[in-house]
Amino acid sequence: MLNFDWASGISQETAKMIFFGLYLIIGALVLLLPTEYIYQGIPKEKRFWYHNLKIWSWTVLGILATVYYLF
Amino acid sequence: MLAGIDYFIVIAYIVGMLLLGLYFKKFVNTSEDYFLGGKSLPFWAIGMSIVVSDIGALDFVGVSGQAYRYGVSVGNFDWVGSVPAMLLAAFIFIPYFWRGGMYTIPEYLGRRYNKSVRTIASATWILFFALDLGVLFWASAVLLNVLMGWPIWISILSTAGVVGLYTYFGGITAVIMTDVVQMIIMFVGGFALVFLGLHAVGGWENMVEKIITMGPEYQSHFDIIQPSDTTSPFPWTGILFGLTFVMANAYMIGNQSIVQRCLTAKNEWHAKASMIFGSALKMFIPILVLFPGLMAVVVHPDLSDGDQALPMMIKSILPPGLVGLMFAAFFAGLMSSVDSLLNSTATLFTKDIYEPFIKKGASDKHYLKVGQITTLVLLIFGVATSPISSDFPGIYVAIQTFMSYFQGPLFAILLLGIFWKRTTQWGGLSALIIGIAFAVFLNVFKEHFFHIEDPFLYISWWSFLVGFIINVIVSLCTKKHEEKDLQGLVFNTKIVTENTSI
Repeated sequence: MLNFDWASGISQETAKMIFFGLYLIIGALVLLLPTEYIYQGIPKEKRFWYHNLKIWSWTVLGILATVYYLF
Repeated sequence: MLAGIDYFIVIAYIVGMLLLGLYFKKFVNTSEDYFLGGKSLPFWAIGMSIVVSDIGALDFVGVSGQAYRYGVSVGNFDWVGSVPAMLLAAFIFIPYFWRGGMYTIPEYLGRRYNKSVRTIASATWILFFALDLGVLFWASAVLLNVLMGWPIWISILSTAGVVGLYTYFGGITAVIMTDVVQMIIMFVGGFALVFLGLHAVGGWENMVEKIITMGPEYQSHFDIIQPSDTTSPFPWTGILFGLTFVMANAYMIGNQSIVQRCLTAKNEWHAKASMIFGSALKMFIPILVLFPGLMAVVVHPDLSDGDQALPMMIKSILPPGLVGLMFAAFFAGLMSSVDSLLNSTATLFTKDIYEPFIKKGASDKHYLKVGQITTLVLLIFGVATSPISSDFPGIYVAIQTFMSYFQGPLFAILLLGIFWKRTTQWGGLSALIIGIAFAVFLNVFKEHFFHIEDPFLYISWWSFLVGFIINVIVSLCTKKHEEKDLQGLVFNTKIVTENTSI
């Protein structure tokens, strides 16, 4: 059990899909965050699209998924 | 080994860092300035500082060596081992710590659980950090000795003098701003080596083809996901459960030297953005530290020790000038690790040990002085203990292994502490103690329990799980905390839905 023997039947391709699934779940949770929370700390009149941390998060997750797709 | 131009670059780098660090002395007037940079720093500086503190010169050599032996799967540590944890930190934990005006992670644990949990966590970090200092001083001295020909003690004292001076006077602002320059130097030096190395091996495609045809042991060198029954230390189950779910989170959320940087942010947006920006930069780290190890498989296929891969690549690939830059990059990694340890340990001691136990209610100037004197004492301690590394060459690995025992149980109490109101002080305390003891037990008898080479990822996962279960059971059996005592310490959906302070 300590060696995760139950997972020995799972192929590397399936395992990779589990990682992609994890990135998707994280991305979905980030999307659920209220917009106000994302901009917290920046005055309303000074907010621009590039302050949107959801865009930052999705970009980072996108690069991460690409790396796992390539390797 | 160094040419005249290389000497010039290294000396210019060391003097430049000293002057830059000392420039920030004028911004230090209070203890908040010293430990939290007056809460005035921008996300980009903090993000760069997180990255450079995380990757030191020893990691450069070690990760290249592991890439030489095991291939790209070692990149998991900077990819899936960073991004999810840094996003969780950015959106859930960091806003709590930042809004709560905290200085240390143990301070949160003390408010959420009790003084004992705070003291155990703080004392453990202080011990690890202080021991690490001596190791890092020795490593930098060996580098200076080999490449510049300086005697060991002159090398140790010059490193301690430069880093100590700017950390003593400039506090965390000097640490972070010198880290920014150090990160740029690391990236320039690292990318130069990668580009020239790729040229030497005939390009990426050619390198892949050559390595894969070298024999059956290289067949999976380019598979980032390793099967769960691999004998390498990186099966995908260990990467997912041990690294992604536990170690990465414990490191990004529970490590004082990482979190303290985010607490210096000028506002909450900068605190969150610093982590996400840092995670973007972290994805380039494997290119700098992993690719040279892969290239060395082609250029130097018969190395007996994988850790020779990077030094051999520098020696055989880089021209004069760039060798000096690469050496400055190594030195930058060491300096950033040393200054982080100094400042974080001084913060932990002043805030978690001195203020509650030795002198409560003193003036702010007093605590500023204590922080500075602690930095000085740590510096002397680090220099005095540095020769231990030559007598016990495995001490760095031993310290890192011991730190990994602490990670699982620490993350278990942080996670339950912030997400579950019912968690009690006795649940947290017993989870920390029993969890660490269980991790030590698994490590001592690892040959009986595990069949992979170095099961630290599995040990982290199982010790986390034991810590988690113990915390739940003991908490349910003990008296719950009053609602008013948990104000601002437990996750509340209001934090993300309302513009309120917690």
